[in-house]
Amino acid sequence: MKALQIAATGMMAQQLNVEVISHNIANMRTSGYKRVRPEFQDLLYQNIRQPGANSSESGTILPSGIQVGLGVKTASTYRIMTQGDMTNTEKQLDMAIRGEGFFQIQLPDGQTAYTRSGAFSLDANGQLVTQEGYQVEPSITVPANARQITVNASGEVLVSVDGQTAPTSAGTLQLARFVNKAGLEAIGDNLFLETPASGSPSTGTPNADGVGSILQSFLESSNVNAVSEISDLIAAQRAYEMNARVISAADEMMSATSQLR
Amino acid sequence: MENALLIGLSRQMALSHQMDVVANNMANLNTPGYKSESLKFEEFIMPVAEFQDMGTPTKSVSYVLDARVVRNFVEGPLNATGNPLDVAISGSGWFAIQTPAGERYTRDGHFTLNNEGNLVTAEGHQVLGDGGPINFGPEEADFVVAGDGTVSSSDGEKGKLKIVNFDDLRQLQKEGGNLYSSTAAGQTMENPRVAQGYVENSNVVAVSEMARMIEVTRSYISTARSIERLADLKKQAVNDLADLRA
Repeated sequence: MKALQIAATGMMAQQLNVEVISHNIANMRTSGYKRVRPEFQDLLYQNIRQPGANSSESGTILPSGIQVGLGVKTASTYRIMTQGDMTNTEKQLDMAIRGEGFFQIQLPDGQTAYTRSGAFSLDANGQLVTQEGYQVEPSITVPANARQITVNASGEVLVSVDGQTAPTSAGTLQLARFVNKAGLEAIGDNLFLETPASGSPSTGTPNADGVGSILQSFLESSNVNAVSEISDLIAAQRAYEMNARVISAADEMMSATSQLR
Repeated sequence: MENALLIGLSRQMALSHQMDVVANNMANLNTPGYKSESLKFEEFIMPVAEFQDMGTPTKSVSYVLDARVVRNFVEGPLNATGNPLDVAISGSGWFAIQTPAGERYTRDGHFTLNNEGNLVTAEGHQVLGDGGPINFGPEEADFVVAGDGTVSSSDGEKGKLKIVNFDDLRQLQKEGGNLYSSTAAGQTMENPRVAQGYVENSNVVAVSEMARMIEVTRSYISTARSIERLADLKKQAVNDLADLRA
């Protein structure tokens, strides 16, 4: 009886579905989070009777055969990289990207990570860092006597210093773009790493050549849609229950056989 | 009397296949583009030695044979995903996919880009347009799939999704991975209707699968019971006939 194993693949797939949905819901308020969706595919088929096989000597063929599928598998968990809503935070070092691109972050091991979450701060040396203290690339240092920091749409960080009327530039943020941004590898802390699937990054100045613009004092909220997550959750839960019913039905059939005298 | 046992057995084997098909439908309740299946049975008439000169002629014996899997190609419900690279076909038609084994067809329009900017399926197979695979450059944005399958981006028109139709859908054979293969070539549709940001869900109707599952289980158990009765009957016959009365 294959039904038992087939229903087990269905239950495992729905379990993963619920796990992914709960992760999305847990990150509903995480800035720069992009929701994930699992993608299912049917498993291999067993040909019990080959369609198209000859059914007589005069050349008639079977119009359809018997192909019994062996269940379901998860093909991928796909990240949907659509733009999230903008939330005003009134914090001058919060930045959101409107459009394409990722902030580049230097990890302690020297690797470059990418993020959509622009909740930055200054460290003791006046350098722009993430909440973990990782440096933003290219490195931007704000002088200690800075009064006001302004980031314009093109990513230029302008600093007003005491005693000077004209603001001075402290550097320009660069954003990275990927051909397939859904292929980036998430490593937690709102960070992503480049993979062979994502392609290599191409960096550019914000607000030019299709790169998104920077919005100061805003954060990009997650793009999780609570209504669709909850309806997906209900659907996944019901599908799980139905597969469990298949297992108990198959069990009943097997017990009928084993009780034959 | 042996015939009755064997007929019961043929019924049980057919039902257990049917159960596998129902289980596969249930397992694929959330698989995009999945088409539900059911098993059709046939009567197989056993040729037996006939003797017509008696009052009633010898009755032929019929077995159950699982003959074919029938697929329900009704369109599944469209599920809004909000992902610009998700495309669903409304009405008939199949996306053409280039795989290492040749052209394959699918109703699962959940596509992504690969590292070279090609439009691919979740397995990484290229989605075919009317002029070959569809490719995007790294600087392009705003992917739009028009209602007739024309794909464009900020860089202009990129080609039209190749959507084919088949005269006889029974020629399609399931390959797994949401793909179908076909021996006959399909005709490219001139005016398909597609919807961007949607994925076609599985067309499995949970309620009817549930009902079929209960029906299969009950038939199986009742067949098992009748096999049991037959065994009892045989046992009783042996006992009665062998009963020697002094």
